Amino acid sequence: MAYPVWRSRVRVCLGALLLSALPLYLIAQAPSGGRGQKKSPPARRNFLISRAVPDPAAVERGQKLFVADCGFCHGSKANGGENGPDLVRSVLALQDEGGDQIGPVILKGRTEKGMPAFALTSGQIKDIAAFLRARQQAAIDRNAYKIQNVATGDPKKGKAYFESKCGSCHSPEGDLKGIAGKYDPVALQSRFLYPESHARRGAGGNRIPTPVTVTLASGRRISGELEYIDDFNVALRDSSGEYHSFERGAGVKVEVKDPLAGHLALLKQYTDQDMHNLTAYLVTLK
Amino acid sequence: MKIHILLSAALLAGSLGAQMLDPAKLLKPPTDTWPTYNGDYSGRRFSPLARINASNVTAMSLAWVFRAGTGPGAGGSNTQIKATPLEVNGVLYFAVPDYAWAVDARTGRELWRYKWETRGGIHIGNRGFGMYGDWLYFETPDNYLVCLNAKDGTERWHVEIADVKQEYFSTPAPVIIRNHVIVGVGGDSLDVPGYLESRDPETGKVQWRWNTTPRKGEPGAETWPNKDAMEHGGGMTWMPGTYDPELNLYYLGTGNPNPVMAGQGRKGNNLWTCSIVALNPDTGKMAWYFQSSPHDTHDWDAVQTPVLIDGEVDGKPRKLLAQASRNGYYFLLDRATGKNLVSKPFIPINWSKGVDSRGEPVPDPDKEPKTDGTLVIPGANGATNWPAPAFSPKTGLMYVNSQESYSLFYLTDTDEKPEGYGGRDSGLWWKSMLTALDYKTGKIRWRHTYDGRGSGMSGVLTTAGNLVFAGDPVGNLIAFEAATGKILWHCRLTAPVANGPMTYELDGRQYLVVGSGDLLYGFTMLR
Repeated sequence: MAYPVWRSRVRVCLGALLLSALPLYLIAQAPSGGRGQKKSPPARRNFLISRAVPDPAAVERGQKLFVADCGFCHGSKANGGENGPDLVRSVLALQDEGGDQIGPVILKGRTEKGMPAFALTSGQIKDIAAFLRARQQAAIDRNAYKIQNVATGDPKKGKAYFESKCGSCHSPEGDLKGIAGKYDPVALQSRFLYPESHARRGAGGNRIPTPVTVTLASGRRISGELEYIDDFNVALRDSSGEYHSFERGAGVKVEVKDPLAGHLALLKQYTDQDMHNLTAYLVTLK
Repeated sequence: MKIHILLSAALLAGSLGAQMLDPAKLLKPPTDTWPTYNGDYSGRRFSPLARINASNVTAMSLAWVFRAGTGPGAGGSNTQIKATPLEVNGVLYFAVPDYAWAVDARTGRELWRYKWETRGGIHIGNRGFGMYGDWLYFETPDNYLVCLNAKDGTERWHVEIADVKQEYFSTPAPVIIRNHVIVGVGGDSLDVPGYLESRDPETGKVQWRWNTTPRKGEPGAETWPNKDAMEHGGGMTWMPGTYDPELNLYYLGTGNPNPVMAGQGRKGNNLWTCSIVALNPDTGKMAWYFQSSPHDTHDWDAVQTPVLIDGEVDGKPRKLLAQASRNGYYFLLDRATGKNLVSKPFIPINWSKGVDSRGEPVPDPDKEPKTDGTLVIPGANGATNWPAPAFSPKTGLMYVNSQESYSLFYLTDTDEKPEGYGGRDSGLWWKSMLTALDYKTGKIRWRHTYDGRGSGMSGVLTTAGNLVFAGDPVGNLIAFEAATGKILWHCRLTAPVANGPMTYELDGRQYLVVGSGDLLYGFTMLR
């Protein structure tokens, strides 16, 4: 990659000056609505769920009622059966609030479609409504879906693969000792594929340190741990903890040693079977 | 001299009504006006302006910053400006979920702010306005089409276009074609059917509706196993399309089928999800379709802009349509007939066994999500995503912010009738780059791989000044030389560019406007 000679140096500096005045500007632009300044928006369970989450006890009661009275036709998971429609995707059930839509149907039945009337109390109807809302929200909340068994491969083949491709950096008796006790199989699988994906998302573990050396036009070399890099700047922290930031201008050389280069090279080679075999082997390292 | 220019501009604006959009502007390349999401109907995001150009862009600097302050509320504290502002008669109009603004295009000064009282819905983004005369139209997360008076931001009316309780939410910028306000819907959480509607600009009443999946007995039904699957088959219409006035065809990319990652309950190609379709804007009747991702199981919407190119094939002029699709393919079609001319990956992919006789990819069943995981290239975010590409008729290149990436795809719902996503994905590794494709062949003419680490992809703008403007994943706005990809200028913003950069000229001065987080930045040449 080529970096241009910065004819724009002065302009960039001017831009920085203007930007440094920004905080004041932002204050001037703050919304002037008449509402009081609340500290933070109301907490939500997650961005996918925009309606009230039902009380778990009501859901449990509702589920028992539903399985006993409704499950025969609508399926015990409410996703439809031989004689009754899917109620997870039902427009009526989705529009329902606390039984106001499903209640009349339950109490009167839909005899023309073969659904009898059920003499349930309003409390019982509310519980069934809570169960249906929980079923809908379980389908909606994809980030909470449970991943099934991932250790389906052949551990022997996985061990052989490990020894030929991974053994130069890792060992089951050394750095990977007890790794299967530290991470569940799903985490283990994505971690060996590419460890940093977790660090990046803050899902446990620190960012993996990346060594970098910057050589300036003067010949001065500074090495340390990479803090930041883009096409124009690079920043590092040296062994004494000092922070250094550089512009990547003409004559500045940046050498980044990617500690995960081996993982990336393998990521481009794995078959799904290789991956499953490796996972099956790694989960044995308790 | 300057006073004269200002005076004549004021007189011109006055003769049209101060805020009114002259409909003729919709049919011209954007110069003093940027009247639609993509600048014009073609979706090229090409500006004929060249005051800022490859030889002087180094002197471009900040003119103003505007903060889209929503305060506490439904919009959340993490507001991102994903809308491309409209610019009409010196005023910028844009929106974020539940909020909309008019801002002076010369100074960034707020003229008005509108707030919508929400009833819920996923607040993930808003792509801004469509404009018809004095009226502005935008969509809300709880699926209302809201009509505002451009003069003062007062509400004229609102109509419901989808049911938030069924998990629809709406993000697209409406597209205005004559007296049609074309609105789309979103929401793939719970297997609802997608549709596109045309609404009356005066009343908001439905003029026509086109369903993205067939109903029983209709053409396309043969690509679904049963009525239930197709009526819960998704196919959202969450991005604005493009329009050819001569052919009178509206081009739209449709979203992924539902359940999203569990395909076992919807065996078949699942028309017209993940497709490019050509519709008559007066009737909603489909003229042709091309399916970018038959039977998609990876969340790869085909909503990327169908870019209209008046090009040449075998030495003859031809009306073309190009899409750099989220699944990694570049497609070139004849936009009169839908006939495929090029299907070529622009990023490494491993999910396709090649293309069929129609030029449509043939998905490899081995790469569908599995309970123990499948390693797929590109990842779920795609080779590119909704942020707009750009095409320059000067260079013949299509500029696409793109990613090489790997994801694991898991099937979590093994029921014969799965629900919702029915699966999960886990992003492993990705690298972002700006790719310049030869529109005739899909071959990569140049590519700039960003060193900044991050997963975002911004929209792109190209201009007659031999420039391409794009954001990198960490917050730099970069000006590239369009022909070569050489970097000429950059500015570090407070957050990655979240929308597509746009440009306009007022009083002989060219502005470049870009959204970054909740800030709108205006750049121009130093005086």
